[in-house]
Parts: sequence; C-alpha cells; structure tokens
Amino acid sequence: MPWYLYLALKQLFPSGRRVAFFTLASIAGVMLGVAVLIIVLSVMNGFGDEIREKIIETNGHVRVENGGIMVDQDAVMARIRGLPGVAAVAPYAQGLVMLQAGNRPSFPFIRGIDVGREQGVVPLAKFLLVGRVEDLDDDSVFLGSELAASLGARVGQNVDVYSPLLLERLKKDEVLLPRQLRVAGIFSTGWNQIDSNTVICSLRLMQDLYGLGAGVHGVSVRLHPGFDSDEFAAKLNALFDGSDHAVSWIESNRDFLFVLQLEKNMLFFLLLFIVLVAAFAITSSLLIAVVRKTREIGLLGALGGKPRQVAACFCFQGFFIGVVGTALGIGFAVTALTFRNEVVHTFARLTQSEAALLRFYQFSNLPLSYSVHDFVLIVTSSVVIATLAGLLPAWRAARLKPVEALRSE
Amino acid sequence: MPDAILNAAALRRSYRSGDRVIEVLRGAALTVAPGESVGIRGESGSGKTTLLNLLAGLDASEGGEIGWAGARVTGLSRNALAGLRARFLGMVFQAYYLIPELDALANVLMARRMLGLVDTAERDRAWTLLVRVGLAERTHHLPSQLSGGECQRVAIARALMNQPRVILADEPTGNLDEHTGDAVIDVLLGTCAEHGTALVLVTHNPQHAAKCDRQLRLHDGVLKEI
Repeated sequence: MPWYLYLALKQLFPSGRRVAFFTLASIAGVMLGVAVLIIVLSVMNGFGDEIREKIIETNGHVRVENGGIMVDQDAVMARIRGLPGVAAVAPYAQGLVMLQAGNRPSFPFIRGIDVGREQGVVPLAKFLLVGRVEDLDDDSVFLGSELAASLGARVGQNVDVYSPLLLERLKKDEVLLPRQLRVAGIFSTGWNQIDSNTVICSLRLMQDLYGLGAGVHGVSVRLHPGFDSDEFAAKLNALFDGSDHAVSWIESNRDFLFVLQLEKNMLFFLLLFIVLVAAFAITSSLLIAVVRKTREIGLLGALGGKPRQVAACFCFQGFFIGVVGTALGIGFAVTALTFRNEVVHTFARLTQSEAALLRFYQFSNLPLSYSVHDFVLIVTSSVVIATLAGLLPAWRAARLKPVEALRSE
Repeated sequence: MPDAILNAAALRRSYRSGDRVIEVLRGAALTVAPGESVGIRGESGSGKTTLLNLLAGLDASEGGEIGWAGARVTGLSRNALAGLRARFLGMVFQAYYLIPELDALANVLMARRMLGLVDTAERDRAWTLLVRVGLAERTHHLPSQLSGGECQRVAIARALMNQPRVILADEPTGNLDEHTGDAVIDVLLGTCAEHGTALVLVTHNPQHAAKCDRQLRLHDGVLKEI
C-alpha cells in the first residue's frame, strides 16, 4: 500500500485506540445523510408506484375518444384487439349527474361500463367493499365509498338520478322523471378523488341517461405488462385516420406525474444537505488536523514525501469516510425499510394515530420501491461530496513547505 | 574533494525581519567525506539549522551550490529533491517528529514506505535497527508511551532505515537530559560508523561535537575548522 494511503488509514484508525472519534463522527454524518435519502426516496417511489398503479387500475392504460359520441365502437375495439400487447378493451360512457339520496344532493361523475368487458380493464371486483359485480344491472349503481358515506346511502337503498337529458327535455316542455336506482354495491379504490365523486352504472343505463342510443364516449384499453403506453397510444393514433384519438394514462396525468417527480427531486436536494453538512464537518475536522499536524506534514516532506502524495493522504481520508459512510448508510436504510411497517405500526399505536393514517393515506403500511437510479445517484453524490470535503485540507497540506512546517510552533 | 559525499560551496541565505535583512549564511562551505562525522557548533541564531535545511534541500539558498555524492542538487524541483532525499539522506531533529498514530516499528518503516512497498526483509531490518538502538522491548509502543530519549532513538533508527549516505542531525540531544543525551549521541555515532554513513551533527554540546571526526564552528555566516 502506498505510504499516503497507509498513513491516511492510520490517521483514521490510530494504533492503540479503540475509537477514533473524528472518524466515527464523520462516518456517522455521511451514513445518516445517505440513510435518510434512501429511506425517503424509496418510500416516495413506493407512493409514486402505488399512485401510478391506481391510475392504471381505475382508467386502463390507454383511452380512445373522439370528443363526442362514438358509434363505431365495435369496429374500433376489433382493430385495437388485433394489435400486439392488448390484454382487454372495454367501451364506456361517462358524464355528470345529480344524485339524491333522501334529501341529500350530490353531483358526482357517472361512468357507464360494459360489466363483462370492463373487468378485463378495471379490476372492479377487487374494489368492491359491499356487493358483487354481477349485482350491477340496468336499474342499479355502485357508489364510491366516500360518496356513499357523504350521502348516507347504503346497499339496497334507492337513489334518484337526474341526468342532463332532463334539462334538454325541459327546454322542449317535456318532463322526464328522475331515474330511481338501487345501490347495488359500494367500492373503494383508495383513490380519494374517485371514491368521493364516482358512480358506476351499466353502459345501457348510461346510454339511456345521456340519450346516446347505441353510442359510447370511448373505449379503454388494458395492455400486457412490459408494453409502453405512450408508444401504444402513438401507434393507435397513426392507425386512426379519423377523429378517434388515443391518449395514454401518462399523457392524461402528465401534470400530476410531473408534480410527483418534482416533489421527489426537491426532497432529494433538500435531504442532500444532510450529506453537505456532514461534508463540512469532514472539511473542518481535516483542516484542524492539517493545522495540528503541520510539523508532521513537514516531516513527511523531509522524509521524501511529494506534495501530491501529502495531498492524497488527506483527500483519501475524505474518500474513505464517504465510501464507508455510504455503505453503512445503505445497510442502515435497507434494514430500516425492511422493518418499516413494524416501526410505523408501533409509532401509530403509541400515538393512537393508526386510524388517521388509514383515513388520510388509505393505508397503514408504507409502500416501498427501490430504484437503481436513485441508489447510483445517492452513492455517487455522497462519495463525491465527501471526497471534495477532503480536497481543501489536502490542498493546504500540499502547499506547506517542509522547512516552514518543521519550524512552525 | 572529488570523493566527497556531501559538499556545499559559498552558501548564502538571508531572512527579512521587518525592514532589516539578516544575512545568516555568507558563503558557508562544507565538504564531508563518506563515513565521516562532522560536528558543527555555533551560537543560537548563528544559522546552524538553516545550513542543515539547505544541505537537505528543504530550503533554497540564495547563492552557492550543494552536491550530493558529486551530483549538483541546487535548483532541482521540490518533487525531484523529495525523491532523491528519501534515498540519500536521513534526518534527525531535536523534536523527534515521530508520527503519533504509528508505533515505533511503523515509524521506522515509514522511511522505507516513502520508497515503495515494505516486505518482510525490511520489517526485519527495522526491527534490527530498533534492537540496535536499545528498543527491542519497545517496538510496538506509540510515541506517547516512550520517553524523550527513546523517541530520539526511534528517530535515529528511522534515519538509518533507507541506508542513507548521510545523516543530518539537528541538535538531537536538545530536548534530553545530559545522561540520556550522551547515550543518544553514542548510539548515533556508533550506528553511523557501523553503517558507514556520514554524519553532520549540529550541537551546542562541545563534548558531543568532540566525539566527531571533525569539528566546525559556524560564526558570522561561515564555517571554520576548530
């Protein structure tokens, strides 16, 4: 081992001493920074993946619409079904209605589905808290759990549904009575926006409510895993020469996904400051060491050490602290994340906040997703920052002239 | 002297103190033969340490020339001098300058590490040197666990580790009591004689200087034979 690396290790771990406080404190600083970065970003990734999964589960990968009523949906679906990567295709119609349960009104979003086909695109059965998929007929609806709670509606109860068609008819002095529909089930997707504001009904009922005849508003497509939604949507758009237009879930949620990514990037930069603070601690400790060891640095010159080797001795200390701190940080983070749910449950039990967690986040288990990209970024950043922290002391040490260093008091 | 191991001619060096320029060396000249020991005395501030620093290539002279084994080293770069110094010179300082994180054996081996990797033969040599200076039982002690005299013996062993042609010793007994100082000088002179290493010993002690082959006095910036 070159003398400057040997001496650097000896300065980090001096002979005859069990604990080198400077080394341990510096490594602990980097370790904590790296661990917090990995824990927070991995949980953020987990949240992101869960949200993406929910978007896909509730909407499918790609939607094809024409901006109005689609009447050739069977032909469109047949063309889509013939393409590679397609797992399922289902038609839908959607809009707004006024819904009244007792004397409580609400203006939810209503979605008419072909029950048989829809299940290939949206796992409806998975979301149903009460009721069965096959209970949905042309005289019943499924209500989102939050919507049902706000209306005080229960399964088996009737609700009145007023569609925009009623207003249209009213203009022509025709009076249409509201449709009285039975609540056949209550669903929860875990996606508050949907659960608090969505009604699901059969496609035939929706066509009737909106006067669509045999038309629909669009078709949703579920792809097999591994197929790129954006690419598939682009392929469909190239295929359709008419007014039909395909939009992927990524495109239709671009702003939201951008905010998610922005939030994660901001967290990365904010948490990186922990590593930066640790790096400043390394710099100041090494600078003190350079001042304290001025005469030793002079001795190294007298023994034949070259300035760049003296610099390498101090620079390596920063690098070593960075590597060891990062490795320990990864180990700590992976261990903490492995037992994250136990920690969260214990904390929630102690603070009696388990119900609040479920209510606001729809889960009490922390989601998790490791990202190789994040790991590479964190490891590179922390090691580079810690190494740079050793550069200033190294530069000062290299500048010392042996004769002046030996003479210093 | 064509076979001189160390020679210096017309060395000049001055320092600025406020507006005053103090000329410390005014044409000092020195020639040391292989294996010869030279004692240099002089009052405090006469420039003895400055002379040793110039001879070791740690400081640059303002005039004159220095030769190591007949090769002119004046004007060489700091890196080039560092590489040559590790092989040609050993240095012993008044304040020992041992590395506190290393034990006695590792301090001695540090001189060898400067030249490259250390193998078993070199470890044996370092151990033998420590035995020779009377520290057989103290090889794995840290400098903080050694007395001043023991530290200086480690420094002497370190100076001899690379089998240098010359050892420059700057008041090596300055921090030691008289008895310990005498013992250290005996070890230094003895080991240099055994290894055929030339010694330039800067000292205030006339008895220590008298033990050398030749004695010089640095006065008014020049060296004179006593």
